[in-house]
Amino acid sequence: MRFDRVWEIAKKDMASVRRHRYVLYGLVVMPLIFAIVVPMITILPFLSAEVAGDNLPPFAPPGFSVKQATILAMVSLLSLIFMFIPAFVPSVIASYTFVGEKINKQLEPLLATPTTDSELLLGKALGAFLPAVGVTFASFTGMVILVDLLTLPIFGYPVLPDLLSLVILFVYCPLIAILSVSVSVFISSKVNDVRAATQLSGVSVLPVLGFYFLFLGGLLKLDWVELALFAALLVLIDAGLFYLSKMTFQREEILTKWK
Amino acid sequence: MIRLEGLTRRFNGRTAVDGLTFRVREGEIFGLLGPNGAGKTTTVRMLCCLIRPSEGRAFVGGYEVGREAMKIREIVGLLPESPGLYGELSAYRNLDFYARLYGVPKQRREENIERFLKMMDLWDRRNDPVGSFSKGMQQKIAIARSMVHDPKVLFLDEPTAALAPDSAKVVRDFILELKHEKRTIFICTHNLYEAERICDRVAIINTKLITLGSPSQLQREFGSGKTEVQIKNLGSRILHAVKKVKGVLKVEVSGNKLLIQSKDPETVNPRVVEAIVKNGGKILYVTRGAHGLEEAYLKLVGKNEV
Repeated sequence: MRFDRVWEIAKKDMASVRRHRYVLYGLVVMPLIFAIVVPMITILPFLSAEVAGDNLPPFAPPGFSVKQATILAMVSLLSLIFMFIPAFVPSVIASYTFVGEKINKQLEPLLATPTTDSELLLGKALGAFLPAVGVTFASFTGMVILVDLLTLPIFGYPVLPDLLSLVILFVYCPLIAILSVSVSVFISSKVNDVRAATQLSGVSVLPVLGFYFLFLGGLLKLDWVELALFAALLVLIDAGLFYLSKMTFQREEILTKWK
Repeated sequence: MIRLEGLTRRFNGRTAVDGLTFRVREGEIFGLLGPNGAGKTTTVRMLCCLIRPSEGRAFVGGYEVGREAMKIREIVGLLPESPGLYGELSAYRNLDFYARLYGVPKQRREENIERFLKMMDLWDRRNDPVGSFSKGMQQKIAIARSMVHDPKVLFLDEPTAALAPDSAKVVRDFILELKHEKRTIFICTHNLYEAERICDRVAIINTKLITLGSPSQLQREFGSGKTEVQIKNLGSRILHAVKKVKGVLKVEVSGNKLLIQSKDPETVNPRVVEAIVKNGGKILYVTRGAHGLEEAYLKLVGKNEV
């Protein structure tokens, strides 16, 4: 594996994506929404109003006042929502760099270069993965600052980052981004339309949705064991999907079987 | 430089390329001619190690197709049917990206990019996104891209198909210039005029190899051998003299032109010219009669329709 070649491909894809207005707007607007709008909507109503004890969500942490427990529950939800960014963003980028290049017949000259299938796949995957992770990190930083500023008067200390948010940011988000890219590669071999590819790649959010609703319903406590189990599940899914995308992304397959 | 030994490719039971066997010499411009679906692009894809042969073997620069794919990709350049450039990137960035993938050192990369862009008359537009270029300009950039790593063998799939006559001429001149650099050039084309002008040898295929030879050889063997002579003062005396020339099979008159058919024009034509001049004829032009290679091509492909 020659990482200089991998990096060249990733750099080129990132440069190409920067020039697609539709993708670029998504990359800029989505973090702003997640960093500013969603925290404001989620946290702000609980800051001034009194919260009744019987309205506590099932996932509220014990050992706090009702108001504090409700706010902490909302903060946990906020952290979980961040898993949707790496599920969504790479699929948009990968749809452009895989399906877009297929439609524009840009893959053949690329396949004629002395790069291995793995280098090409990894380069293109990185080109989608890095912006997604970058956007998630930037957005998360913004959200942490805003939430801590809003909640400092109530708690007297910064509530973020906590264990859950750090696990989500440094473990789940990269794993979900890999999942999303792998799904996109597979879907790219089946469709000839960028938007259709983006929509179909939406299946990447399924594990995130499952995790989110299990937490909402109070079925997950998100202790160390559960967090590790979900991480292990993501690793397994990633391994399977990456293998599938590697099988799909082969010169012979691309030129003879991709639609 | 290129050797094919029974090269065959099947797709779901359909044979796209059937047992091709021929050689291309080093420094030669070799044309692969054939109708749509004849297997030209599939052949090029196999030789560039993009797809594997179903049967047979092929060697490029001494390396075996399939087994030494990476070595082959390092020494070949490919211009596919569509330019496939990154429209949102500049001309310079497009070439630079490919040069880096081929591992071209920085100094040579910069020199080559500048040389090819200047040669194609696009140096002043190097920072413009190629999406804003005309089809012809894009094709020129795509050809430059296939050359940016100084390949020993160049595969050009329909290099002038989308070009206006002036751009096509630039590309043809460029290809001829590359010949002086001793590069082996393998061209797939429908343009018989182009093949006749620039190729040293051509192979006509229609899934299978139909024939192979130099354009003039094929014209001699399969064409009607017609020569057109335009004479200022064409009269019956000249006409009779031409008809009597040994080797002349048929003479047709059209205005002040004679259309002369012979088995071996290269031997007969000098005699015809001599006869005309001896009989006081003033020759304006002597040209190859109606579409030399085209005639041979249509005859051969027509006979071998799949």
